[in-house]
Amino acid sequence: MSSTPLITPSTLDAGLKAAFAARSKTSEAQAAAFERFEKLGFPNRRVEGWKWSDFNAVTRRVQPANDITNDNTVAPSVFAGLNPLEIQIINGRIILPESDTIDGIEFGILDSVGTSPHMEDHAIAALNVALTRKAFGFSVAEGVSVERPLLIRHINTGSTPIFTQTMARAEANSRVKIIESFEGAGAYYSTLFHLGVRDGAHVERYLLQDAGAEMVTHGFCGVMMGRDAQFRQTSLSTGGALCRHETHMLYPGPDGDSNINSASLLSGERHTDFTTIVAHQGEGCKTRQLHKGVARDRGRNIFQGKFLVERTAQKTDAKMTANALLLSDTAEANHKPELEIYADDVECAHGSTSGALDDDALFYLRQRGLDEHGARALLIDAFVGEVIDGIGDDGVREVFRAGVAQWLEAV
Amino acid sequence: MLKIEDLHVAVGGAEILTGLTLDVPAGEVHAIMGPNGSGKSTLSHTIAGRDAYEVRGGRVTLDGDNLLELDPDERAAKGLFLSFQHPLEIPGVQTMTFIRTAMNAQRKARGEEEISAADFLKRVREKAKIVGLDDAKIKRPFNVGFSGGEKKRMEMLQMTMFEPRFAIMDETDSGLDIDALKMVGDVVNELRDPSRGFLVITHYQRLLDYIKPDAVHVLAGGKIVKSGGAELAAELERSGYDQFIEAA
Ligand SMILES: Nc1ncnc2c1ncn2[C@@H]1O[C@H](COP(=O)(O)OP(=O)(O)OP(=O)(O)O)[C@@H](O)[C@H]1O
Ligand SMILES: [Mg+2]
Repeated sequence: MSSTPLITPSTLDAGLKAAFAARSKTSEAQAAAFERFEKLGFPNRRVEGWKWSDFNAVTRRVQPANDITNDNTVAPSVFAGLNPLEIQIINGRIILPESDTIDGIEFGILDSVGTSPHMEDHAIAALNVALTRKAFGFSVAEGVSVERPLLIRHINTGSTPIFTQTMARAEANSRVKIIESFEGAGAYYSTLFHLGVRDGAHVERYLLQDAGAEMVTHGFCGVMMGRDAQFRQTSLSTGGALCRHETHMLYPGPDGDSNINSASLLSGERHTDFTTIVAHQGEGCKTRQLHKGVARDRGRNIFQGKFLVERTAQKTDAKMTANALLLSDTAEANHKPELEIYADDVECAHGSTSGALDDDALFYLRQRGLDEHGARALLIDAFVGEVIDGIGDDGVREVFRAGVAQWLEAV
Repeated sequence: MLKIEDLHVAVGGAEILTGLTLDVPAGEVHAIMGPNGSGKSTLSHTIAGRDAYEVRGGRVTLDGDNLLELDPDERAAKGLFLSFQHPLEIPGVQTMTFIRTAMNAQRKARGEEEISAADFLKRVREKAKIVGLDDAKIKRPFNVGFSGGEKKRMEMLQMTMFEPRFAIMDETDSGLDIDALKMVGDVVNELRDPSRGFLVITHYQRLLDYIKPDAVHVLAGGKIVKSGGAELAAELERSGYDQFIEAA
């Protein structure tokens, strides 16, 4: 990438223009996407759905991080112990494993990038489409069940804005686990993930954001669910200057089944926004969503969840729960759970709570001998535990658990 | 052992304990009886160090150590145990993990070695059997969905595990069936020795039939208004508190 650092609004805008102009070949779709972005600009808090995550404001105050080093040696991943097939995307450059492969998974670097009709009015996605050069792509062959996880490491260490994409497909009746980790202390990272879960396929996606406090991250994952497809997603984020992970799910056919869980652990001024839209069109789909947000200091926990149940989506069974735990008076929780239901024979529910640690419980634990830190940590761990315990993969669960434990050391 | 002198404690601005004096020597079991709202739990929470209870005057020492300047966990490490009148449910916290963490925290604070996972498991199984909690119950999140009596059994499980030097039992007998009542008596009698002390808060004589107290005190109006031997409990059961409330 050859854009200039994000320093002031004018250099950001100029940087983005320069990045676009510097592209060797630009498809019509990309040119259109850039125009769309230019017209829309970064969303600000007056734009519906962006009230609590003002990208316009934050991209104007992003300070340049250390410049990109050409040193592509990266520390081993926290997931290394799971023996994953590891793909590194370092400052936008996709590095495939040299000799490693997994039977039944085909992967490579794609020249064309994805566009998606439902991202028309999404400025950040449009910008990504305009500026991403190559995408990482993979597909899992029909009926193949892959035990080893596929790990995509999004590593961002510089002041240059980075745009990446992944396109993936799990063919009918296949099984695969995908881990994405967001790492480094860069300035701006935007990624799109297009995922197709075909009929009867089972996909687990794990997302871990444990990156710099100054990082602005935007992840957009579009999931297309086949008939009888299963999708299990768990995300854990310690946030950044602004960190938003969106999941857009569509069930065009019947009997899909998903769990979309997330946890945020936020300190300092860190911000995480988990936004999801699940559109039910086919009959008899089942969705479970659980979010747990913990914030201390001036941390900001945002959760926006929307279940759309169209008229055709009879027998939909969808439940959404969001709970926040605020450890200081200055920490924030903003939850927006929404149901939009047009079918009449459905079971849908949502609930949202926000509160502080329970004094009675703290006293009880301390009477039993736990010091203040130990008692608080135990209760916070228990609060987040429901999300962590729900992780299907033993190895991933342990890595996430360790991530929580590490965060709790400082509480 | 436990010495309380002229203790004044306010809760939410109102003074509930108004100059309470009590001395439980090592090796003894003392019972406190008193009407609802007289300040028994206020006393137990204050001794254990709950900060919502404002100590306005007086002293509380355990073997000469001033408890009032210690954090609740420091008091616990000194061997103080409170069996809560209303034990909590703590969702998401595994019972065994919690008891072991607590035990090791106490041991660490005392400079003792931690208990090994294997020793802990053996011991907790053995004690759970004694207090009448089956394996499934101790493998669940702490007290979640437990009946009132089961929660009291869980308090007793912790007491037998921690082997405290001084235990306050705040209405442990309330809500217990007859067998459990006898179990509590057995647990206390088993722990009873010349170096330990117990303060048993109760409304009924039943438990005291199993635990023969060395002294019985009546708490009314924020003070001890009458002290006597085990026979005082029987007298209270017969004639109620009226005479003492008027005296106070
Ligand atoms: N947090 C509080 N705020 C205001 N008043 C309180 C608070 N806690 C306790 N009290 C009051 O203090 C008094 C003593 O309460 P306490 O719980 O010590 O009584 P008790 O003797 O244990 O009664 P019981 O036999 O019903 O258990 C009561 O009048 C109670 O309402
Ligand atoms: Mg009481």
